[in-house]
Amino acid sequence: FSAISQSTMPAYKLYYFSIRGLGEVPRQILALADVKFENVGITKEQWPEFKSKTPFGQMPVLEVDGKQIPQSFAIARYVASQHGLAGKTPFEAAWVDALADQYKDFNNDFKKFFYLVLGFGEGDLEAAKLEHGIPARDKFFPLVVKQLKSNGTGFLVGDSVTWVDVLYAEGSSRVAHEVPGFLDDYPEVLEHAKKIHAIPQIKKWIEARPV
Amino acid sequence: KTMPTYKLSYFPGRGLGEVSRQMLHLSGTPFEDNRITMDDWPKHKESTPFGQMPVLTVDGKQIPQSFAIARYLANQFGFAGKTPLESAWVDALADQYKDYTTEIRPFLMVAYGFGEGDKDKLRKEVAEPAINKLFTILEKKAKENGSNGHFVGSSLTWVDLLVSDHMGILETHVPNAFTAFPTVQDIRKKTTSLPKLKEWIDKRPVTPF
Repeated sequence: FSAISQSTMPAYKLYYFSIRGLGEVPRQILALADVKFENVGITKEQWPEFKSKTPFGQMPVLEVDGKQIPQSFAIARYVASQHGLAGKTPFEAAWVDALADQYKDFNNDFKKFFYLVLGFGEGDLEAAKLEHGIPARDKFFPLVVKQLKSNGTGFLVGDSVTWVDVLYAEGSSRVAHEVPGFLDDYPEVLEHAKKIHAIPQIKKWIEARPV
Repeated sequence: KTMPTYKLSYFPGRGLGEVSRQMLHLSGTPFEDNRITMDDWPKHKESTPFGQMPVLTVDGKQIPQSFAIARYLANQFGFAGKTPLESAWVDALADQYKDYTTEIRPFLMVAYGFGEGDKDKLRKEVAEPAINKLFTILEKKAKENGSNGHFVGSSLTWVDLLVSDHMGILETHVPNAFTAFPTVQDIRKKTTSLPKLKEWIDKRPVTPF
């Protein structure tokens, strides 16, 4: 009889719609961390009932041994911090957070164009591209290139992958895919996405993912 | 072992810098409260990482983005929750608050005098729904946490500070905004009456926002 207690891995469940959206980065972080998780896809029909069971009436929600955590960045940071994917020092962690929030600010503008590209909402696509898409892109991506160059490791922060690399790679690769040529002025950003998506656990996830 | 030197650079208002100033003060840490006016800002913009403020400078190294700064200081000074799960919840509430600020922005820009618009119409159509959505969530969380004067855990976190200060600004533009949220009001009351925080509030420059 062993007196040494086995430490058990928590049981992780990630709840989101069966699209990439805000669920994809938490899923990729879990995959990158080699964490077994149940990827629960909630359908449009199931959502109204499930909504009232979530903390904020929104998804994604991570459930860890039955305890819920809402908000995609809080989820990503929680998983990343447990697995060495959130920066090696408090200063690095702050820069990971800063870059993540800078991306969020960019996306708040950019989505006024990008949601139309994806087929959500009504509007003049060309006008949105001129008014929101291009200005948001050209305000944000030079900062990204500057950060990649000054950090010099191929990663955004420090010398190993962090959750903000996963965030940026998903964002930039999605944009480049949906709007061909849109990021051609930022080859360093496209290279970064390629590098992150070549990491074995992420590569494997991308190849196997349902959407 | 020497303490790091801290400088917080922001505009003269409270806004995105205030929660970090408060944590520095609450922790008893000396810091340079570097307030840069709108007129002087163009001179300084290029020296910041993202062309924006606030920026925290720690021993000469810069950190941009208000929540990255707040979380960094919260972790240094014990205002980030006591467990990883608590920290995740502090982060989640802060991000929900951030989403709310995006929703209510059209109203606040007019209310603060930064744009033209029908303030009453915006208050009804933009502000009130946004406030109700966020504060319903906050009220629920405050109750689930045991109505103990905190949103998360049993000690002060930066989200207590964040929400409390914002309520002080918001109520000047949306009267009776919080009548349906008594537990949240209680958190604000308890937070703002902490002696060390009261000391800061009493001595800080008076600004409308």
